[in-house]
Amino acid sequence: MVVAWATLRRSWLVTRRAYPWTYFVGNLLLGVLTMGLAYLGLRVLGGGEVGAEFREKSGTGDYLAYIAVGAAALMFVKHCILWTGKAMIQEQREGTMGALIVAPARRLPYLAGFSMFSFTAVALEVAVLFGCATLLGVRLAPTGWGDGLLAVAGLALAVFGMSVVLSNVMIVAGEAHITQNSVFYAIAVLSGFTFPRPYLPEALQWLGEVVPVTAAMDVVRGVFNAGTGVDPGRLAATLLIGLLYTTAGFLAMPWAERRAMERSY
Amino acid sequence: MIETHDLRKRFAAKTAVDGLNLVVPQGRVTGLLGLNGAGKTTTIKILATLLRQTEGTVRIGGLDPVRQPHAVRKRINLIAGGERMVYARMTGRENLWYFGQLYDIPSRVLKPRIDELLDLVGLTDAAGTRVERYSRGMTQRLSIARGLVNDPDYLLLDEPTLGLDAPIARDLRKVVAELARGGKAVLLTSHYLAEVEQLCEHVYVIGDGRHLAEGTPAELITQTGCHRTVRVEVSGLTPEVEAAALAFDPAVRVDSAAGVVELSRPGDVAGALTMAIVAAGGTLTGLEIAEPSLEDAILALNDRSAVAMAQVAR
Amino acid sequence: MRHALRVLRAEALKQHRQIFGSKLVLFSMLVWPLLQLAEAYYMLHPLQGGDSGGPRLLAFLATGTLGFTFFFSLVQSSWHFSMERQSGTLELLFLSPANRLVVVIANGFGALVQNVWLFVSFSVAMFWWLGVVNVAHPGMYAVVFLALLVPAVAWGAFLNSLLIFSRDSAFVYTLLDDPMWFVSGVRLPTSALPELVRAAGSVLPLTGSLAIVRGALLDGQGVGDLAGELVTLTGLSATLLLAAVVALRVGEARAQRTGQLKLF
Repeated sequence: MVVAWATLRRSWLVTRRAYPWTYFVGNLLLGVLTMGLAYLGLRVLGGGEVGAEFREKSGTGDYLAYIAVGAAALMFVKHCILWTGKAMIQEQREGTMGALIVAPARRLPYLAGFSMFSFTAVALEVAVLFGCATLLGVRLAPTGWGDGLLAVAGLALAVFGMSVVLSNVMIVAGEAHITQNSVFYAIAVLSGFTFPRPYLPEALQWLGEVVPVTAAMDVVRGVFNAGTGVDPGRLAATLLIGLLYTTAGFLAMPWAERRAMERSY
Repeated sequence: MIETHDLRKRFAAKTAVDGLNLVVPQGRVTGLLGLNGAGKTTTIKILATLLRQTEGTVRIGGLDPVRQPHAVRKRINLIAGGERMVYARMTGRENLWYFGQLYDIPSRVLKPRIDELLDLVGLTDAAGTRVERYSRGMTQRLSIARGLVNDPDYLLLDEPTLGLDAPIARDLRKVVAELARGGKAVLLTSHYLAEVEQLCEHVYVIGDGRHLAEGTPAELITQTGCHRTVRVEVSGLTPEVEAAALAFDPAVRVDSAAGVVELSRPGDVAGALTMAIVAAGGTLTGLEIAEPSLEDAILALNDRSAVAMAQVAR
Repeated sequence: MRHALRVLRAEALKQHRQIFGSKLVLFSMLVWPLLQLAEAYYMLHPLQGGDSGGPRLLAFLATGTLGFTFFFSLVQSSWHFSMERQSGTLELLFLSPANRLVVVIANGFGALVQNVWLFVSFSVAMFWWLGVVNVAHPGMYAVVFLALLVPAVAWGAFLNSLLIFSRDSAFVYTLLDDPMWFVSGVRLPTSALPELVRAAGSVLPLTGSLAIVRGALLDGQGVGDLAGELVTLTGLSATLLLAAVVALRVGEARAQRTGQLKLF
């Protein structure tokens, strides 16, 4: 807990001094522009109406609310990966990874600290995005506070698991740009952020199941868009895949760190 | 010939060059010396058209770099040491070819010249290898070849041997001397004063952008009045010998136990001092004369200029 | 002119060595645009009403993505160009007598050719497969090609010349990535955009390029139908080149004054 708190605090201190505005602006812009695209598209292409197929596949007729929730969730996922997943490679680039590996601190609280930080930082972005959505007439009605919290917690676990695995991939590859963007573009297609997954060919739908955020998004949709509440099956799937990723990531971490250190010396 | 007249360059925070008059003739290597921050690199960059002077004039082969930059750039080149300054993903030969195109050198001239240059810097075998696989020394040698690709009449060398291995630095010095003999005007700045002593016939010393002294390395040493140290070893250093030495010059230091007499003076006192010792009955067993180096001269000049500045400030 | 061609050739080789076989190009110029295209298609698909609009929407988005890839590849190449500031080679370009405008144009052109051929090949295959191409006469293919190439090169020269002023190029990346597709009508017809956004988009050459590419390739319009757009786009390209000339002059003079071309 001490390590998590220290990491959270350090992140805040560093961030206050040199906030990566490009992360913030870039991430927020994408969310806002996606909302704008949906709004204008609905007005001009759809004449204000969305097709019956969408209703059937998404469980809601409120296209804008669907996109708003998806865009916010994608922002949340991307931001957490940028902070937590890139924490280790950032240390590697700054030459402090050696010091971190030598220190007796455990990795779980270290990365958890980064995650806690990113959750607090991303809250601001999501608030701005929902502000914009409200201006466009979007009203969100979650099925309950508890449900909402559970859905967000599921998404957080899923993204934490992904971040731990990506952290290993990045330090072993010694590269972040291609990895992170490929993941971002891939989950935008596979995990149902801006359209219902049943639109995808079946093979791609199955491929989406490999990514933890896919199941987590189904839970989020049930609570925030379809009004059907928490789907216990999908929540269980989220926990299972999320924990699987987290465990596998931490088990592989010593190996990844060794590889990374060998490469840099 | 490169000539500057009352050259000044002011940046927002400081004056980097302050009234320099330089003459860099063809056919020899001219040195530009000074401690860090003396204004050497700024001067070289002004001559290379990369910076524009605030005041004063520059003429390079009679051309004005401010008015005729294009014509000047064709005839000059700059080699700065310690930096990459070439493209890592291209091979050595491709780098030279690329820069040859920027200088619009006809292919029939460029091709043999690239071969010559690669040979000159000892990279013929590595010509087809990407620069990212080069060692630091190889990269720097390539960067030297790059600086010669347009066969410049005026060559500006800013610390060209910085970070080079000793044998390669020695080869480079040979190349520079040959280029100057071949009729090029070469201006050299270097931290390695032995290099300057060896290569330069004429040296300018600057400090805080100002002209401090000039001359051949030997003249500079004489001008600064740096001391030569004479160390005489005497067997049987009797009180009489000691008295005679002190009578010769009260600044003499005598170590009776070790049998050593030492004296530091600007002029040549070795002969007179030893005669005085021998006349008093001492027997010489050894004589060493430590000549002042260019380094001593530069340090002395710099100290003097600092004292002068302090007085002006007061 | 002869010297200009030699610089062009030299830059082309340099870009080829820098870029060819680079993983970043494979991803940023093929894999990512494809994924983005797929996402945009599925996101807008529910608004189409029925399946008949599917290929038409896909063709609209694909032309948009093709144009975007052209212009974004130049954003990326100018980012590489700004790296030359740090490695010191930019100073060497300024040491040489080569014409500065020619160098920045050649740099953009070289990068463009290396970058976009993959996606162009892919797009051609896709248009053929979708069967949506409707051109007035074969000469329009040349018009389409030039309407993408010329403004893109002018755009690249302009971006490269701006980077002489600043070493922080991350802002260019952020500003010209997502906002560029939004205001230029990559995913929606510009007629769907609010007045203000449309005005912002009209200064970006991508907007005019896309209007011509779509008109010529999908709507069977001839040179006569597109005359207005062609004239505007030509004017915009010329303005960008002129701005590049001015920026290079001012930028070089400033660098000579302040010595800030180089960072160390």
